[in-house]
Amino acid sequence: MARTKEAPRRDPLQPQRLVDRGIVDHRRTIEFTFDGVTYKGHPGDTVASALLANGVMLAGRSFKYHRPRGILSAGSEEPSALLELRDGARREPNTKATTAELFDGLVAKSQNRWPSLDFDVMSINSLLSKVFVAGFYYKTFMWPAALWEKLYEPAIRRAAGLGRASDAADPDVYEKTTAHTDVLIIGGGPAGLMAALAAAQSGKRVILVDEQAALGGRAIDDGSIIDGRPAREWVRSVEAELASRPDVTILRRTTVFGTYDGGTYGALERVNDHVAVPQKHQPRQRLWRIVAKRAVLATGATERPIVFGDNDRPGVMLAGAVRTYINRFGVVPGDRVVVFANNDYAVSTVTDLINAGANVVAIVDSRPKPSEAISRIASSAGTKLLSGAVVTRALGKKRVTGALIRTQSGAEVRLFCDLIAVSGGWNPNIQLSTHVGGKPLWNDDLLCFLPGSLPPGMLLAGAVAGNFSLPKALGSGADAGATAVANGTKSVSIPVPKAAEDSVRIAPLWRVEDHSGKAFVDFQNDVTDTDVELAEREGFRAVEHLKRYTTLGMATDQGRTANVNALAIMADITGRTIPQTGMTLARPPYVPVAVGALAGHHRGKSFKPTRLPPSYKWAKEQGAVCVETGLWLRPSYFPRPGEKDWLDTVKREVNTVRNAVGICDVSTLGKVDVQGKDAAAFLERVYMNNLKSLAIGKARYGGMLREDGILFDDGTVARFAENQYFITTTTANAVRALQHMEYCAQWLWPELDVQIISATEQWAQYAVAGPKSRELLRKIVDPEFDISDAGFPYLQVGEITVCGGVKARLFRLSFSGERAYEIGVPARYGDALMRQLWEAGREFGACAYGTEALGVMRIEKGHISGPELNGTTTPRDVGLGGMVSKTKDFVGRTLGTRPGIVDPERPQLIGFRPVDRSVRLRSGAHFLAKGANPTAANDEGYMTSVAYSPSNGHWIGLGFLKHGPERVGEIVRAYDPVRGGDTLVEVVKPVFVDPEGARVRG
Amino acid sequence: MANMLKPTSAFSHLDPLSTPSLSVAPREDLTMASFAAGKDQVQAVMATIKSAYGVDLPRRPARVSGKGIAFVWAGPDQWLAVAERGANRDMERELKSLLSAMASVVDQSDGRVVVRVSGPLSRQVLAKGIPIDLHPRAFGANAAAITHASHIGVIMWQLEDASTFELAMFRSYADSFAHWLIETAEATLPATA
Repeated sequence: MARTKEAPRRDPLQPQRLVDRGIVDHRRTIEFTFDGVTYKGHPGDTVASALLANGVMLAGRSFKYHRPRGILSAGSEEPSALLELRDGARREPNTKATTAELFDGLVAKSQNRWPSLDFDVMSINSLLSKVFVAGFYYKTFMWPAALWEKLYEPAIRRAAGLGRASDAADPDVYEKTTAHTDVLIIGGGPAGLMAALAAAQSGKRVILVDEQAALGGRAIDDGSIIDGRPAREWVRSVEAELASRPDVTILRRTTVFGTYDGGTYGALERVNDHVAVPQKHQPRQRLWRIVAKRAVLATGATERPIVFGDNDRPGVMLAGAVRTYINRFGVVPGDRVVVFANNDYAVSTVTDLINAGANVVAIVDSRPKPSEAISRIASSAGTKLLSGAVVTRALGKKRVTGALIRTQSGAEVRLFCDLIAVSGGWNPNIQLSTHVGGKPLWNDDLLCFLPGSLPPGMLLAGAVAGNFSLPKALGSGADAGATAVANGTKSVSIPVPKAAEDSVRIAPLWRVEDHSGKAFVDFQNDVTDTDVELAEREGFRAVEHLKRYTTLGMATDQGRTANVNALAIMADITGRTIPQTGMTLARPPYVPVAVGALAGHHRGKSFKPTRLPPSYKWAKEQGAVCVETGLWLRPSYFPRPGEKDWLDTVKREVNTVRNAVGICDVSTLGKVDVQGKDAAAFLERVYMNNLKSLAIGKARYGGMLREDGILFDDGTVARFAENQYFITTTTANAVRALQHMEYCAQWLWPELDVQIISATEQWAQYAVAGPKSRELLRKIVDPEFDISDAGFPYLQVGEITVCGGVKARLFRLSFSGERAYEIGVPARYGDALMRQLWEAGREFGACAYGTEALGVMRIEKGHISGPELNGTTTPRDVGLGGMVSKTKDFVGRTLGTRPGIVDPERPQLIGFRPVDRSVRLRSGAHFLAKGANPTAANDEGYMTSVAYSPSNGHWIGLGFLKHGPERVGEIVRAYDPVRGGDTLVEVVKPVFVDPEGARVRG
Repeated sequence: MANMLKPTSAFSHLDPLSTPSLSVAPREDLTMASFAAGKDQVQAVMATIKSAYGVDLPRRPARVSGKGIAFVWAGPDQWLAVAERGANRDMERELKSLLSAMASVVDQSDGRVVVRVSGPLSRQVLAKGIPIDLHPRAFGANAAAITHASHIGVIMWQLEDASTFELAMFRSYADSFAHWLIETAEATLPATA
C-alpha cells in the first residue's frame, strides 16, 4: 500500500482530530472540562476520544502505586482511564473515560491524586513498592492486631482506592423492565448484525443489544469495507431493515451483564448517561431482565496487552484501540508510533496510522520470521520492520517519549515515539458463556480461550467463537441467526456480504523476559509480573489462589486485559501448559451495575409495598402514630394534646377500654372462608382442638400446629352455616396459614370436599371493646337485631346489617378481656363505619386504640402473641396443653408426642412482676434461680413480653420458665446482660386483670 | 332507615390518566365474587354458568365474557366473576342463588380493587413491573394470569381490545400500586420539555 500523498486535515482547535474521519458529528462542537481545563469535542465522542483529540493522554493515577496512567483501550475493558464524572449529587467515581459519552458541559476530574494529577504526593508509594507487593495486607500489618482497625486499614484506604462517590442522595430515577424474546443477540458488531438480519427473516421476536451508542462494533472500529462500501453505510442499511420489522427491538447503550438460569439475561441500558440531566420523569438507567428462548453470543473479543517494562505509561495503547480512535472518532492518538505485536493485526494498524498521517517509526514483531503480510506492509509503507524483536521498556513518565527495543540479535535500540501500539492477540469475550458454569477451552492455534460447554439455548457468532476475520464473522453471524430461529432442520439463509480476508496469524508472547522497570499484568489493581512470580514462590499456584493472593482480575474490569497474560506467566514459570494451569470463571456482572438500577422504583418508601388498613385515613386525621407490622402500616397509638409520651397515651387508651369503650382496627388479621361438605372434617384435621362441637352461630379459639408438633398459628373459627366457616389467623401468618390450608386440602386430603378462599380484605373489621361496647354498638347495629347478652352472648357470631341496611358481621370475641365485639363491613364502607363509631362513641367517652394498647391488654390477660408464637414453642409451652384433642387426628399430633416436645423440663408460660414494683421489666431477660451464677447451664427460660400495666400500676411480664406453673410465688432473677438489667421478679399466674374472666360475658 | 355509610375509594391519590398513548383509571363500579366448584361439581357448575350466561368457563388461565359479565380463571376449578354493580347488582348473591349446592361463593367486591390500563403504551408500562410475557402472541385478547406487579400479587386479564388490561389486587395495596403505576407511566410517556 502506498503512503497517502497528503496528510489528512486536522482541526486547529483539537490538534489530534482529523476533520473528515469517523462517525462523530463534526459539524457540532461541544465543550467539557477535565481537571478544570476546558476542551472541545464532538457529539459521538467518548471522554477518552475527546481527551485524545486534544492531545491529553495522562488520565489518572493508579490504585496502589499512584503511577501516572493514560488510556489503554477504547471500550469497557479499560483498566486505567477511570475518572470522576459530573459533580454535586450526580458525582460518580471510577467511570471509564472510554465508555462515557461526551455531552456539552460535562465536568470530568482525574482521581487518586493530590494535590494535582501532574504532581501527586502519594506517588511515593511507587518507591515503597517492595512493601506494597502482593499479599502485603496479610504480611506487613499482622501485628499487633489491635492496630489493624484503628491505624493500618484507614491509612491504606486513604492511600489506595480510587474516586469518591457523592454523599448526597441520587437525584435520578431508575427503572426495571422485563422482555421476553425468541432470540436475544448480544453484540451489534458485524456478526451480531448478520445474526439479527437472519433471525428477523423468520418474523420471530428478536432483541439486539449493543454496548455502544452506534451499532457496528469492530467493523466501524476497523474502518472495514463491506460489500464494497464503508462499514458505516452497510451498518446503516442493516439498521434500516431491522427497524422496519415490528418484532425487532434494538437496544443501544446497553450491556448484557449476566447470564442466569432458564435463558434469563440481565442487561443495563444507559438511557440518559449521555446527557447532563435526564428530562423530567425520564430514567437515568434501565435494568432489563430478558428471557430468551435462544441467545446468540456475538460479543467479539478484547485485545491483550503485552507485559513489558513500564508498559503502563500513558501512550502505551492497544493497537485495536488506536484503530478505533482513528476510524470511529477521527482522532490520531500519537504522531510517532512504534507498533509492537506478536500477530498480524499489526498490518492493518500500520495501514490506518499511515492513512491518518501518523509516522510509524518501526514495527516490532516478536516473531523471528516475519509473516508475508507484515513484510508486505513494511515494505509498502517504507517502515522499519524489526522481526524477532521486543520492546523491553517504555520510556517517559507522564507520556511515552520512546521505546527501548531488544532486537533479534540482542542489541538494544532506543527509538523516539509518543505512542506504542501493542497487540498481544485477542481474547474472545466469553464471560457470558461461563456465568452458569460453562468451562472455556484453550485453542492452541488462536492462542485464546473459546467457549466450551454453552448454557442451554446459547449460540456463538463472530470473534467470540474465534472467527477473527471479517468474512468469517459475517458468515458465522448469518448461520447463528438462522439456526436460532430454525424449526428442526428448516432454516433460512441470507446472502453474506463480501469483505476482505485478514491474516490473523499469531505466535505466543505474553511477557518480555529480562525487562527493566515495572511490568504490569493487571493495570487497575496494580499487579505486576513479579507479583505473579511471588505468588508462585509462596505456593499460590492454582489460578483461584493466584487471583485472591494478588487481587489480579478482581477490579471493576474483571481483569479483561489481565487474566490470560497472568495465567500464561504462571504456566510458564511452573512449566505447565495454559490448560493445565486453568482459568478462573467469570461471574456477573460483566460491567459494574449501579445499585440504583437494581433497585429501580423500589427505594425509600417504595422499597416494598405498604398495605393500608381501611381506617388508615381516619386514623391519620386523628393524629395516630403508625407502626409497620409486616407490610401493614397500623396505628400504634393515638396521642392527645398534653400527653407527655407514648406511655402516657397508652395508659389512657387502656384505662378507657377497661372503664368505658375503645375502638381498634383489626382488619389486618387473616380471614379465610372455608366451605364445602367436608369443611368441618377438614378443620378438625387442621386445628389441634375440638371443633366438631362448634354450633352454627358460634365462634371458638383455635390453634394450628406444624407437622413437627410446634405451634404454628392461632385465631378464631366461626361457623356461619352447616358447611360454612370463617376463620381468622394472626396478621403475621395470614399468607402462610392460607398456604398451609391449601396444601392440606390439595395434597394431603384431596378426597375432602372443601374450598378455601381468602377474604382478608373483603371486610373492614373493628374491635369495639369495653364495658360500654354494647351500648355503643346499639347505635350502629340496625334495631331488628338483638344484641342483648341473652340474644348475643359471648362467642356468638351473626350476619346483621348496620347503619340502615349495610350488610355486616358481628362477632362477640375479646382479646382485651373486656366485653367486646368485632364488627365487620365490606371494606369500602370501612372508613365510613369508623367515623360512625367515633361519632356514636362520643357520649360514652370512647377512644381509639392502637397496637400498643392492644398489646398491653393481651399481656394483662396472658394471651399469647408473636413473641410466644415464635416457632419454637408447643401448645403445652404456652399453657394451651389442655386444649389439644386426645380423641382425633390432626396435623402435628404424631410428631407432637416426641420426647423432646413433651419433655417436662421445657420452660412453660407464666407471669412475672418485679419485686421492686418501680422497676421496669425487659423482654429477652433470662431467668435464673436466685443466687445462681449467670451461665447457660443455669438458664431456666426467658421473658417474652412485657408491658406497663395501667390496671396494676407497675410493669408486668410473660415468659417461659422451667416448671413455671408450679413455681407461683417464687422469686427468680431476670438477668439481661445485653442491656445491663438484673432484677428480681416474682412468679405469678399469667393473668393480671379479671382472673375469673367474668367481664367478657358482661 | 337510609344507609348512612358512604363508600370510599381505596385509592387516596390515583388521578385517572388519559392520554392518547396511555390511560389509567380505577374501576370502582364492579361487583365481584370468587367461586370454587365443590368436589365432582365442576361439570355441573360449568353447565349452570353456560345456561345462565351462555359462556364456557375456562379451565386454564383465561377470561370469558358474556352479556354484562366476565369470568376470569383464578385457580383450578375456581373463577372470579366480574360485573358492573349498576344500581344494585350483587355478584355474591346472584351466584349463590345459581350455584347454591355446587360451589362455594365468596364476595370479593371489596376485597379486591381493579385498575384498568389501556392504550398503545400499556404493555410497555406493565412490563416494567410484571415479569410474564405480555407480547400479543403470548398474552392476547381474553388472556388472564395470576402474577405480580411491582411486588404486589395481581390477577390480570386482557379485554377483547388488544391493549386494554385490568389488574385486580388486594384492596390494601391500592395506594402502593397506584404510586408505582403512575411513576412508571410518567417515565414511559414521551418526555415533556
